Amino acid sequence: MSHQNKRYQVNLFRPRKGQMRDEVLIIFAILFGWGVCTFGFQILLAVCRGTGAEALLTRLTLFNLPLHFWFTGQFLPLWFIVLCVLFNLYIDRITQYHSRRRDRSYE
Amino acid sequence: MNDSSWSVFVVLCVLVSFIVVGLRQKSRESVEYGFGGRYTGRIGGGAAIASNWMSAASLMGLAGVIYLQGYQALAYVIGWTGGYVLLLVLLASQIRRFGKFTAPDFVGERYGSSLARLMAAVISIAISVIYCVAQFKGIGLIFSFMFGIDYSRGVLFGGLAVVSYLVLSGMLGVPRNQQMLYFVIIVSFIVPLMWLAHRLGYFWLLPQFGYGEAIGDLSRSFNIDFTAPFAHGSLFNWCALCFTLMVGTAGLPHVLSRFYTVPNIRDARWSVVWGLFFIALIYWSAPAYAVFGRLLEAQQGAALTPEAARSIADVIILKTVVLAGLPGWLVGVLAAGALSAAFFTVAGLLMTGAASISYDIYFSILNPAASEAARMKVAKGGTLVLAALALLLSLNPPGLIAEITAIAFALAGNTIFPLFLLGIWWERANRQGAIAGMLTGVICTFADPLLGGILPGIAGWFPLTSSALCGAPLVVGVMIAVSLVTPAPPEEMRRFLAEEVHGHLDQDPSETDSLKA
Repeated sequence: MSHQNKRYQVNLFRPRKGQMRDEVLIIFAILFGWGVCTFGFQILLAVCRGTGAEALLTRLTLFNLPLHFWFTGQFLPLWFIVLCVLFNLYIDRITQYHSRRRDRSYE
Repeated sequence: MNDSSWSVFVVLCVLVSFIVVGLRQKSRESVEYGFGGRYTGRIGGGAAIASNWMSAASLMGLAGVIYLQGYQALAYVIGWTGGYVLLLVLLASQIRRFGKFTAPDFVGERYGSSLARLMAAVISIAISVIYCVAQFKGIGLIFSFMFGIDYSRGVLFGGLAVVSYLVLSGMLGVPRNQQMLYFVIIVSFIVPLMWLAHRLGYFWLLPQFGYGEAIGDLSRSFNIDFTAPFAHGSLFNWCALCFTLMVGTAGLPHVLSRFYTVPNIRDARWSVVWGLFFIALIYWSAPAYAVFGRLLEAQQGAALTPEAARSIADVIILKTVVLAGLPGWLVGVLAAGALSAAFFTVAGLLMTGAASISYDIYFSILNPAASEAARMKVAKGGTLVLAALALLLSLNPPGLIAEITAIAFALAGNTIFPLFLLGIWWERANRQGAIAGMLTGVICTFADPLLGGILPGIAGWFPLTSSALCGAPLVVGVMIAVSLVTPAPPEEMRRFLAEEVHGHLDQDPSETDSLKA
């Protein structure tokens, strides 16, 4: 790849140094939390079918709801809100840091 | 007054109050509102995002599908909330910095092709029409419930009412008050639910938690296991539906364009958080209607056959409050909330669809010399044509409200989402890749009805409502492959992406070089 091509390279998996690298790091962290809780939990539930672990997930109750129903129906939407808050706080911080470095007013 | 005349009365009051409040607001403030209402801070922005999102699918369809499928249908709840995480982390700030807010505009500019723009416009319009079909089904069901007429007449009258309301609001120049709309929707959904929980003897202050006990009663007294995981579908079905709704949310044209109304990126990001919270308030409550509906049916010995249950699922919220014997005016309040959500969703979709016909197809491609008046005429005609098309399709709806909506999400997730994702995050994605990607996406979405007869296995991998789990990665793969074997996009666009969209806070590379020297 020529120097010119590399200079304008934009790739989620090969972020440029500086603000983009920090941003991509938090994006992957949030996506990890999003994917594991959403799909990981369902896979766990399906894998545990017919075992003692399933009974644990479906018989235990929280707020009168079976644990798995509470986790999916009530906790996950809350978890998404938490993830968004964490993302925003982190982005606010790195935006501030990189704006100062570049001596620009913080947006 | 009986139940149905109360409903009609309350619904009329609510719809008229939107016009009155809008007109008062307009005369009080001479601010130019622009696209989607004035700016009212992060919380107000969040309420606007939520009211823009709420439709017949959230208020009627969701409870209906949970009533039918129990745990399996929570995939809708998760899909429609988790999509906002994807939208926020992957696209929101970058789209703001890119500066194009409608899907055809972004595609046309990023990929530098009028053919790609035309395709994106046609796909956006198709998404709007499919989405409208679900809304018209909801409106038709409420009309037939209120006036005691059959469904097809309900759809026709409802459709006429929406179009007249649109024309009237347009002629009076009423600005949309999104915050008030959200307030009406949330109050009209939660208050009857609290009343219902109170009437049935459950914890009514937070019915979102109170319905847990009702689930226990259902299984103890009537042997109905509402929460059994994967009883109405497999793990693959659950994940495919959930993923499809998530990527669809992040690719839905009328959701993406919301970032236009907030003045800076920081507030845009934070208003997504508030919006998600306001949406979750409704989604935490919808399962309660479904559970109470099942319980009341069981208590009154009116257990239905699966076919009969499917036929009433979409109006289960109204059936439930009627079964519980709630006062007529409260039934009216619930109907008014659902109807307002459907009305304004249809209005928004028809207007953006018509704007797309007039600007992206007529002005940009067919007749670039068209005058403002001619474009306006095309937009008005387009609104009516799209409304008529959606109305016709909704006379014989292909499924439940939530299912029809899911098809629109699948189309968005298979086409618009990959185009935005690669367009923002990979500078090498080019015109040819985009066109090939959109074609693949359309084929993936409709693979089940189109190719199901020839390749019987395909329906398993690309179910009509949940095709994006396999479809979206396939489209991304096709886009990458085609882009790599065809020439790179112009340097100007790559420089813009690298420096303006992603490197806006970093040192200019040439500055760094000169510093080093």
